[in-house]
Amino acid sequence: MQKKDLGLAVLIIVVGAIVYLRNPLFLSPINLGNTANLIGLFGLFAIGQGFVIMTGGIDLSVGSVIALLGVLFVDMVGKLGVPWPVAVAVIIALGALMGLAHGLLITRFKMQPFVVTLCGLLIYRGVARGYTAEATAGFPFGASFPQLEWLTIGRSFGMPHSFIAMVLVAVVMWLVLHRSVFGRHLYAVGKNEEAARFSGIKTGFVITSAYVICSVLAAIAAIYFAMFTKSVQPSSHGNFYELYAIAAAVLGGFSLRGGEGSIVGVVLGAVLLQELQNLVNLLGIPSSLNFAVMGTVILLGVLADQQFAAYRARKRAAQALERLQFEEGHAHERA
Amino acid sequence: MSALELHNISKNFGAIQALNDVSLSIEPGEVYGLMGDNGAGKSTLVKVIAGNFPPSAGEVFISGQKVEFHKPIDAQRAGIEVVYQDLAICDNLSAASNVFLGREPIRQFGPLKVVDYAFMRKRTGELFSRLKSETRPRDLVRRMSGGQRQAVAIARALLTEARIVLMDEPTAAISVRQVAEVLNLIRQLRDHGIAVVLISHRMPDVFEVADKVAVLRRGRLVAAKKASDTSPEEVTGLITGAIEAV
Repeated sequence: MQKKDLGLAVLIIVVGAIVYLRNPLFLSPINLGNTANLIGLFGLFAIGQGFVIMTGGIDLSVGSVIALLGVLFVDMVGKLGVPWPVAVAVIIALGALMGLAHGLLITRFKMQPFVVTLCGLLIYRGVARGYTAEATAGFPFGASFPQLEWLTIGRSFGMPHSFIAMVLVAVVMWLVLHRSVFGRHLYAVGKNEEAARFSGIKTGFVITSAYVICSVLAAIAAIYFAMFTKSVQPSSHGNFYELYAIAAAVLGGFSLRGGEGSIVGVVLGAVLLQELQNLVNLLGIPSSLNFAVMGTVILLGVLADQQFAAYRARKRAAQALERLQFEEGHAHERA
Repeated sequence: MSALELHNISKNFGAIQALNDVSLSIEPGEVYGLMGDNGAGKSTLVKVIAGNFPPSAGEVFISGQKVEFHKPIDAQRAGIEVVYQDLAICDNLSAASNVFLGREPIRQFGPLKVVDYAFMRKRTGELFSRLKSETRPRDLVRRMSGGQRQAVAIARALLTEARIVLMDEPTAAISVRQVAEVLNLIRQLRDHGIAVVLISHRMPDVFEVADKVAVLRRGRLVAAKKASDTSPEEVTGLITGAIEAV
């Protein structure tokens, strides 16, 4: 665990303590369960966004991917009667294809990630609305899929399965980012793509893989969201979700310039965002101020972090200078 | 046997003749200073040796064996390492991670393949002590001095047991104090029997470590002689063209 992550964890606990003192309902099992569910849902695709941001890119299409794949999933399972395991596999494969398309457009055709995924945002949303003719996609009345429901919206020991899924994904992705060779290469490519290429790393493959990971996790999140909301309204479902993911990553210590960040960080970022949402609700702040609270906290957090880093750098430089002067003083004495 | 031999290397880009009939031979444990003005063909020559592109004509021999490089990785496999001017290293990684970048050792736990950090740190520490550098394997490159960064780049070359190291302006961007550190690193490489090609604009640095000096002017090799048989004044004349050739 890095220093940054520790700071974020402390912030989460402090904010939690303040909310609890103002409103003890914060720690009630119902509230904790609901918040954990939201953390799971949002954490799933925030982790994916982290991989893309690690390469110095950005994926703006996440919200639209969640809407389009959500619509398709509900339609396949609810209307077309596709067995749900098949539907899950199809949705994940579609997610992988979308990520592959983004990655290849960026690495092979040298397009900017912002442009590619902005077009993705528009296209997927448009297709979702066109496919349903603006109608809400929902399961037929009385339909029930016990196993699928258990996996997605079920709970074990009060713990929502979406949260457990997110934790499992986080563990796997932690191994990938922090312990695998691919993870090393991801850090290298994000900071200095040229150096990585000179070292024999296939940079195009590494970057494309990050976009595939991001879209696949968005696809998994799409299934969880579709099962959670039970119906998908194509024009509003998943709106702005890419921004939640980017916010979680930035809070978690990722640099939009690439090469910085950790899985623990982005998960804690997702936790803090949901805690802030919860705070707005529990403290009776008008929910219209939701975004304003979130924006202010992110702004202050990043500002404080940078000021602190600059302070540490100054301190280190001063120490180094002192050491140098000390050594030279000794050299003079000897001379 | 020569570590590296170039026979009549020419390279043209369309109508532009970047290299014209260059022949050189470099022995193991020898430091060869390669000098020339901007556009004289130094970088082109380095890129030909490093396999970035093939020569238009001429042959390259390594330890007596004729070689043909199509990609940089071919040259790397043949024992050629390049330390680039802008130091192809990643600021956000530790010294050990940089030394092993692109060739990370792995340990297998069942189906899991995990980067072997312990081995990386141990091996990098050995390389640094061989280079007599005080750089520590765990330190982030971001926090290092220019001289320490050079040590990291050179340790990369040692890791692959390179026989030929090409250094492009290693002393260009660092302080006077660190230049001495880098020149020491070059001597360490030489003492390990590695052939070093040192490309530099800085006359004093070249004369301090180089055994031989070659001068390129407009794609032609105008001199190749022992450093002790020439002088900075003569080399300057050769670079500018005041002295035709020797």
